[in-house]
This record gives sequence, structure tokens and C-alpha cells, in this order.
Amino acid sequence: MKTILNQQGQNLIKQLNASARCGIPMNTRLFRLLIVLVVTIILGVIAILLITGTFTAGLAERETFFQNELLHTSEKISGQYGELSVQVIEFSKELSGNIEEKAEQLGISVSELANHPDKLERIIADQFDTTYYSLEKFKSSGIFFILDATVNPTLYNSQNSKAGLYLKNMEPNIINSSHPNIIVLRGFPSLGRNNSLSLHTQWRMEFDVSNASYYHLPMEAARSNPELKLSRLYYWTPVLSLPGTSEETMICSVPLIDSQGNVFGVCGLDISNMLFKLSYKPQTTDYNSLIYIFAPHRGSAINLGEAMVAGGYSSRIMSKSESPLTISQTKGAFYSYHQGENKSFWGLHTPIYMYPKGSAFAEQLWIAAVLIPEEDIVRSMTRLNVLLISLLTILVIVGIAASLLISKRFLKPISKGLELIRSEDLSEAPRTRIPEIDDLIEFLANRNEALYEGAKQNNLSFTLLDDFARNTETLSPSERSVYDLYAQGLTAKEIAETLCLSINTIKTHSKHIYSKLNITSRAELLLYVNLLEEIDKDR
Amino acid sequence: MATVWLILIMIPTLAGCGEGEMIDPSNPVTLNLWHNYGGQLKETMDNMVDEFNETIGIEKGIIINVTSISGSSTLHEKLTMAAHGDPGAPKLPDITTAYPKTALILADKGLLTDLNSQFSKQELSAYIPEFLEEGLIIEDSLYVFPTAKSTEVLFVNTTLFNRFARDTGAKIEDLQSFEGIARTASLYYEWTDRQTPDIADDGKIFYMPDSLFNFSLIACNQLGAEFINDGNFCFSSPQYKKVWDCYYQSAVLGRFAVFDGYATDLAKTGDIVCSTGSTAGVSFFSPTVTYADNTSEPAELAILPYPVFEGSKKTAIQRGAGMCVIKSTPEKEYAAAVFLKWFTSPENNLRFVSSTGYLPVTEEAFGEIMSREIDNLSDDRIKKLLQTARIMQQDYEFYIPPLFDGIDEMQKEYESQLRRVASDSRASLNHLSDSDKNTAYQTVAPAAYDDFITRLSKI
Repeated sequence: MKTILNQQGQNLIKQLNASARCGIPMNTRLFRLLIVLVVTIILGVIAILLITGTFTAGLAERETFFQNELLHTSEKISGQYGELSVQVIEFSKELSGNIEEKAEQLGISVSELANHPDKLERIIADQFDTTYYSLEKFKSSGIFFILDATVNPTLYNSQNSKAGLYLKNMEPNIINSSHPNIIVLRGFPSLGRNNSLSLHTQWRMEFDVSNASYYHLPMEAARSNPELKLSRLYYWTPVLSLPGTSEETMICSVPLIDSQGNVFGVCGLDISNMLFKLSYKPQTTDYNSLIYIFAPHRGSAINLGEAMVAGGYSSRIMSKSESPLTISQTKGAFYSYHQGENKSFWGLHTPIYMYPKGSAFAEQLWIAAVLIPEEDIVRSMTRLNVLLISLLTILVIVGIAASLLISKRFLKPISKGLELIRSEDLSEAPRTRIPEIDDLIEFLANRNEALYEGAKQNNLSFTLLDDFARNTETLSPSERSVYDLYAQGLTAKEIAETLCLSINTIKTHSKHIYSKLNITSRAELLLYVNLLEEIDKDR
Repeated sequence: MATVWLILIMIPTLAGCGEGEMIDPSNPVTLNLWHNYGGQLKETMDNMVDEFNETIGIEKGIIINVTSISGSSTLHEKLTMAAHGDPGAPKLPDITTAYPKTALILADKGLLTDLNSQFSKQELSAYIPEFLEEGLIIEDSLYVFPTAKSTEVLFVNTTLFNRFARDTGAKIEDLQSFEGIARTASLYYEWTDRQTPDIADDGKIFYMPDSLFNFSLIACNQLGAEFINDGNFCFSSPQYKKVWDCYYQSAVLGRFAVFDGYATDLAKTGDIVCSTGSTAGVSFFSPTVTYADNTSEPAELAILPYPVFEGSKKTAIQRGAGMCVIKSTPEKEYAAAVFLKWFTSPENNLRFVSSTGYLPVTEEAFGEIMSREIDNLSDDRIKKLLQTARIMQQDYEFYIPPLFDGIDEMQKEYESQLRRVASDSRASLNHLSDSDKNTAYQTVAPAAYDDFITRLSKI
């Protein structure tokens, strides 16, 4: 009877499995559920990154960095150039007085210098110490003065050749300033030889002032505006190279004016591009390709040929001889700067005020800019976003792998439970330690029992019992005696002892008994015996 | 599944490591480099360091931070101060240019890395052996790595010389020997004196040796004698007397310059026609000569091999600082070697020397690459210089000056005393006519020589 019930249960499970195979397996359902969870989390992370601006955070960080760099640099430029302007004015006052005095000692006035070329060497030599020590004191790469006179008025183009002195500090920004490397760029060779200074490789005796704005403009301004003080007459040139020299410099010049108001020359100092580069070289290690520019500002372009440029190796991609750098607004706080079609930069710029109000050159505008090649900024932004996307991809892969693993591990005890259910005796099944499955097994065991009880109640087995009772009559006497002992509840071993037979003989009898009674076990035999006894009692 | 987890865990680790590299490029090593290259050399050096930082430096995780020091003497002073731990001394850099005399002090203190450990024998075999030899200052330890070397050559203003030669028949071949230079100088003095008949005895100077010490050192070596032995001058040899006479006589008689400065200064104003000096001085010659009345003319420059005393061996000095690596961490020493290998690779080395007048340090750079580079050079003077350097590399023996503590002071004192004695003798004869000068010279010279020897013997 129980076998029949088990077979019915197994059929039920097979039917369930079959129906499951027709639909979506449970582990697939679970896997899908977990994937939905993973995707939701990833989308949530992406939404948070978008809302917090992490994908564009690099740009925002750079904006702040560039703003700080620009502020710092522009303040430093204003401070340094302002200080030098003041120093040149003082130098001019001292030099004008000294030259006037020396000229008087030689019996001439400064306005007569051009007529006395023979006296120029002595007058200029007399200013050597003042000039030399001023250069030592100033943070500049050169210092000079030019007199409106020449040693040889008979030479061709002598009107553009002016006597004077130009000393250069070859290494103005080095550690050791106690032994400055000062040499003579312009002036009488005797000045160098008498003071143990070498002559510059590009030394000339006199200045060529044919296109020298630093010579003509301050003198013209002083002559046209005699009421202006020296502090309103100093002039900063854009970057230029003196005739016959290769070095790029910015020059600040101030007119030389005697006590009578006669303008008789200029004096000034220079900042070489090398000094600018050393002073303003980007200190950050985060942006190797940062470029600082200080230049006159006309319209919406920067003429690089007139600009001071500081930066690393990358700044060399800016060609000074090519077209100017055009400025256009781009998104965010950054400006876009283009040179020709191929070179683009991002950055910021700010005006620098080089002259006070009332200056003869107040209309000239300057800007400081901090730039970075566009490809560098795009590359670094891309690098950051590729990193973020890579991390998200790794997160997705890990999520899928984890979902797969979890769904398989989750289904494993259920599969085991099903195996147990398929087993013969549910009541003997081991505990799975999963309450729900244990409850199911227990439930199925109880249900089997209930089915059995129900069958018994419904007299479904009367025919079987009749058959059983009839079959007992077919047993041989020996089998009958064994059967009787079984009916009394004895085991095979006990029967063997009682009948003084071997266990094998009892087993053989049992086999025949089971066969004739159409049963499979001692338990079934006892079940029939008990049922028959109960029926007898009822009757 | 476990493999997937292992790969995921390993990704960040693998991303940061380069196989076989000592430095993680994402965590670069910064090296402080001191050099004393000035002017054009400084700009070239700075540009090359910038290039290194932004190419190989990024790739390998090395940043070179350059500090320029004014002049070799200041650099020597700062390095020795740092080596001795003097108060206020700066911290030693990681790499520095240094002459062997400076390196010797640092090596004695155990502060230098033996670069043999950073270069394989095969790598070192690419360098010119004599240049490496100069860096082996203590036994076989390579403390000074050759980066750019120089020698001395003869610079001739051919614009002036040819004008003089046309009138006098002087030959530029005569300038191959010091005796020939002295003879030509006399000829030039007389010729220039004749240009101004109304002013007597105003002949001009013809030649100046940039360093009187190097001149004496090499001239003695050419003649087969020692100028310095065991840290002392050797004045007793007849060869030295010949060298002394060569300079002193011509200097006293106004043929050779007595000038405490660079010959290039006198060349700019046409006050000399030729000079011997370092190849690295080529960029200091002006393309024009400007005279006292502010007139000027273009000046052609010829560059000839270093003169040799007649009948003596062809020897020229080997000069130029190298680079030393200060002992620190293995990473920094490795990084310094990476920089030195890059800096002295034939292409980069030649790029550095071709804009500075220094000589390359590898056989390869001296060979075919140099031939190619010479043809492409736009600077005619550098082209001539490198052509002459190649001739000297084949025909001359390069002499490495002796190295010992105090040689610097000896050099200064020697030059100063020689100039003083020549100047005093010249002044004592100044009031005499040229014909009387030659006679009076015979009287003045022996006493001056004795006085000079006595003064220098006291050092």
C-alpha cells in the first residue's frame, strides 16, 4: 500500500518537474531577480555620479586650479614689474644728476653731448659703478642707459647709433648672487677691460636705435608732456630682441632729464625671457604642460611674438612666429585659445595694469594668461572618465558573477530536498537545516500517512485483504509455521532459533511466503496481519 | 569562479607595475640636478631636461629638477661645502656636473656612486675610452661620467690674417707650430706698426693663449717633459725653458697678449688675430670686429688643430666636466643612470654638443652620426669646429691634466705670476724703441725668469 502511495507521490513530483521544465526554472528566476537588483544599483551609482558632477569633476577642479594659478601669477607679475618700474625711476633720477654733474666738470652741458663725442667715454665710464651696483640690486637681467650722442657722427646711419652702457646679468635667478656673472653688451670695450668684465658675444660699441621704441617713446612723451613726472613716463616694451642680439627681453625705460628739463637720453632695465621663464616656471607636478603668458592685449588676440612665455617642454609647441593666439569663450569658465587651425589651448586670462592713472602709456593693456594644450586637458579628462567607466564595468561583472553564484547556491538545498522527497521513506529523511524544506518533507510524510489512513478508512483494501487471507491457505506447513511466528511479531532470527532452523532456511521460507502472499516485506506482512485481526475483532 | 575573483583582485596590482622596472611611473622619483652651464649652454641644457621630463621621464617615472649654479668655481665651492657639512651648506643634489678635482673630494668622503654598477660593460664600450678614463678617479670606480668633453684648438680671424698675409706673404700653415706663431706674430707686429708711420712702435698683438697654464702643460708634454710632477712645478727642464721663452719673449715684445680675460674679448675689437682656447668657446666669437672708432666689419673665423712645437708629438688637452651621481637610494641612482644614458645617447649627445662647441663622448657620435650632423649644421663655425675635432681625434693624443688637491690654486698663481712678470718686463722696455727693445730684452729676460721661478717655488 505504502509503495503505491510513494509511487503516487513520485508521479506528483515528476509532474511538478515537468511543469517546471515547461516554464522558467527557479534558479533562472532568482538570477534574473538579482540581475535586476545589480542593474538598479549600477544605475543608481551612475545617477549619483551624474548628479554630483563626478564625470565632469576634473573640469571643475581644473577651473579652480587655473583660477588660483592665474591669481597667484598675475599678482606676482604686478608686484615684480611694479617694483622694477619704481627702481628704474630712481635709477633715472640718480643717473641724470650724475651725468649732468660730470658734463659740467668737463665744461659742457648735457644738451651739448652730441657735439662732444670725445668726452662720451669719460662721461659713460663715470656712470659705471652706479649702473653696475643698480644691476646687482635689481631683480632684472640687464640694465642700460643711452645718451643722445654717438662717438662717430661721420658714420653711415650715425643718427641711429647712440653711445651708452648696457650691462647684462647672465644668470639673474641662480642660487649664488655674491658673484654675479655680469658682462658688457653695449659700451666702450675699455669699460669691460678696466672692470674685469667680459664682452658679450653679441657686443657692439653703441646702441642701434632705428626701431627702438624703448628709446624714442619715453623721450617723445617727456618732450611732449613736460609737466608729467617720471612716474608717468616709464614705458614697458613688448618682448623684443635688440638689433644684433638673439635674446628676447622686455625693456622698461625712463627718460633722462637734466635739471633744466632737457631730455638727453633714456635709462632702463630688462627682463629676459629666460628670467621670466625661471621666475614663473610652473611649480606643479600635476600639469607638466602648463604655460604662462604675459603679453600686450589688443582686441581678441595675443601676439605671441610680443609675449613672455614660461612653461615646460610643451610650451615650445607655441610658435612665436606664427599667427597670433585668438581668444574665444568656451563652456564653463575656460576660454579657448587657437593658433592657426591645429593648435588649441584652454585656459584663463586677466588684465595686468602696468601704468598708473595719468601715465603717457596708460592706454596700453596687458594680460596674464595660464594655458594648457587642449589635447592634454581632453586626455586627462578622458583618462578620469575611462577609469570611472572601467570601475563601473568591473562592478557590473562582479554583480553578474555574484548573482550567478548566489542563485546556484540558493537552489542547491531545494534540489537536495527534492531528492529526499523522491526517496523511499520520508519519515526517515535527514534534516536539511533549512526549516522550509524540512517542513515540506514533514508535510509530505504526514500527507502520505494521511493518504494511507484514508485508504484504510475507505475499505479500499478489502479485496487485497481477502486475497491475502486466501493466499495464506496456499502456504506449505513449514511456511505456515514461519508465517505464524512472523504474525506473532518475531524476527527472522528469532524464528530461526524457535524452529531450530538456519537463518538461510528461514529466508528461503520468507521468500516463498512473500511470493505467495504477494507482498515485499515483513512490515507489509505485519500490516496485513494487523488489519485482518482488527477486521476479525470488528466482526 | 575563483580565477575570476583572483583576476579582479590582481587588476589594480598589475596596473601599477612595469615588468623589471625599479620605479613605479605613477609615483615618480625626483632628482635634483646642479649644473654650471651658462648662456647658450644653459638654455640647451634646460631644454633637454624639459624634453627628458616630458618624454622618458613620464614613461619611467623620473623628474629632473634643475638648478643652475653660476660658474664652475661656485659649483666647486658649494659641492665641497656640502661634502664637508659646513654651516649653511646646501643639501647635495642627486646629480651634478663636476670636474674631476671636485669629484675627488666627494669620492674621498664616500659620497659618490660608482657608475660601473649602473652601466653594463657593453654600454660602457660605446664611450671613448680616454673620456671614461678621466672619470676613473679612484682605482677603477667610475665616479665622473663623461657627458660632453672639450679640447683646445686654434681660432684665427682670417679676415685680418688674409689682409696681413696678402701684404707680407705670411702663411696660415705657419700657425701649425708655436714657433711659427711667434715668427708670424713678429711679422704682424711690424706690419701693423707700418700702418701708422706717424706713430712709432705701435705694432699690434697677434696671439693669445686663453689659459697660460694649459699652454705650458701641453707644450711641455709635446716636448716630452713634465710640467707638474708629484704636485710640484718642474721648471728645471730645458723643454720648460723653451716654452717659457716662447711666450715670455713674444709677450714682452708686444706680439702675444698679456691679458687677464678671455681672448674672445680681444678678438671682438680686432686686438688679436688668433688664440688658442677651448672648443666650447667657439660661440663666444663675434661674427664682426668693431674698432675703436665704432667702425666694424664681418670677421671670418678659421678653426685649426692645436699648435704643436716643431718636431714634437701632437698632444692636446682633454677638458670638460662630467656628471657625478651622489649616493642615495637604489631608485634614485637607477633614475640618474637612466638620465645619463638618455643624455649621452649619440643623437642627444650630438644635439647638445652641436649647439655648444663641446665634443661628443661616444664612438658612434664621433663617427658617422657626426659626419651626417656636420653636413646639416647651419652654424658654419660649429661645422668647422667639429671637422677640426674629428681630425684631432684621429691624429692627436689627448692629455688628461694631473689631478690633486690644490692644483686650482697652483694654476691661478702660475698664470697670475706669468702675466705679472711679462707685464712688468714689457713696462720696463716700453720707453725704448723697437730696435733697442730687442737688445734690452736680452738683459731683462734672465732676471725676470729667475724672479718668476723663485716666486713660484715658494708655493
